[in-house]
Amino acid sequence: MKLVFRTMLITAAAAIAISGAYAQSAAIAKRKDILKGVGDATKPVAAMLKGEAPFDNAKAQKALATYASAAKELKGLFPADSKTGGDTAALPKIWDEKAKFDAIFDKLAADATAAAGAIKDEASLKANFGKVLGNCKACHDDYRAKKS
Amino acid sequence: MNAPVEKPSASAAGARTLAWDGPTRLFKWSLVLLVFDGWLSNTVGGAYPAWHKWNGYLALTLILFRVLWGFVGGSTARFTNFIALPGRAFAYLRATLAGRPQKYLGHNPLGGWMVMALLGLVGLQAVSGLFAADEDRLVIDGPFVKFVSDATVSFAAKWHHRIFDAIEILVLLHVAANLFATFVKREPLIQGMATGYKPVEPYADEARARPGSWAAAAVCLAIAAAVVFGGILAAGGRL
Repeated sequence: MKLVFRTMLITAAAAIAISGAYAQSAAIAKRKDILKGVGDATKPVAAMLKGEAPFDNAKAQKALATYASAAKELKGLFPADSKTGGDTAALPKIWDEKAKFDAIFDKLAADATAAAGAIKDEASLKANFGKVLGNCKACHDDYRAKKS
Repeated sequence: MNAPVEKPSASAAGARTLAWDGPTRLFKWSLVLLVFDGWLSNTVGGAYPAWHKWNGYLALTLILFRVLWGFVGGSTARFTNFIALPGRAFAYLRATLAGRPQKYLGHNPLGGWMVMALLGLVGLQAVSGLFAADEDRLVIDGPFVKFVSDATVSFAAKWHHRIFDAIEILVLLHVAANLFATFVKREPLIQGMATGYKPVEPYADEARARPGSWAAAAVCLAIAAAVVFGGILAAGGRL
């Protein structure tokens, strides 16, 4: 009987530990996946901005819609227990200034929505898209570990 | 008794002598602004990559100008007049630490090496920027990025960051040394670089600078700009 209880206790503890670890790594995996999608949606627009691809408003609008929805989702994907693991590049500084960090996502969503309304042609793309990308740089400069 | 004009030993109170010609001073303070603007455009200019890139082109143009000016400019701007052998630089350092440095109208032997280090690093910074891009290759890239491998871009970006750290350290040392000389040692180096004139003293290098001509400066600047902008465009780079 004692053995049964002990086994149950150990199993329960392990289950809690595993599910906690799972929730944490799930948040990391989810945000990495979303950010990968953001990068993929940006690539064709970056080519347009460099003049290496013809203007295609559908691709620009798709990127901006991706940013707006990603920004809203990402805000919830940096819980306090997701500071490490899953090969994350997130810097601990995020959780020291979480409000400032979250504010960048709010600004990204607002800038993306504003740009979506303003962009009609190549000139308006070049005039408005950089402001949106500036949020990527602002966040990555401060809160993402450098590869090298 | 009629004393010759501008006799250095006739150190009447307030007598001043030319130390830096106009082009040298204009270059110097322009480079100060560009180094600061390079930092500023990276820090708050994420939305305007062209701001940071043009800052780099102008900085590279100025560095090339200064290299040419080091051969044809005013006497105190010429490399031959301020690049000292390391032995002389150490001797100057020892004399300074012992509290009896020689005074120089132009760059002193240590200051000359600081000038060369700053010119070299800012030049390298600008060149590395031509090949560098942000980690994701989405926000900003130099005009030569499309001609080189991804590994080269990463290498250039890494050094673009490291060289900036080194520039920050040298700028701090350079500013500290000049503040110390100007306000503690009472040798008005900063005013000299601002106005061009320094008090008449028994300087070790020369008594009065021979200024370079504005026309020569304009030619040097034109050549430098042609090399930088012509070079980028001729190579097929997008500014």
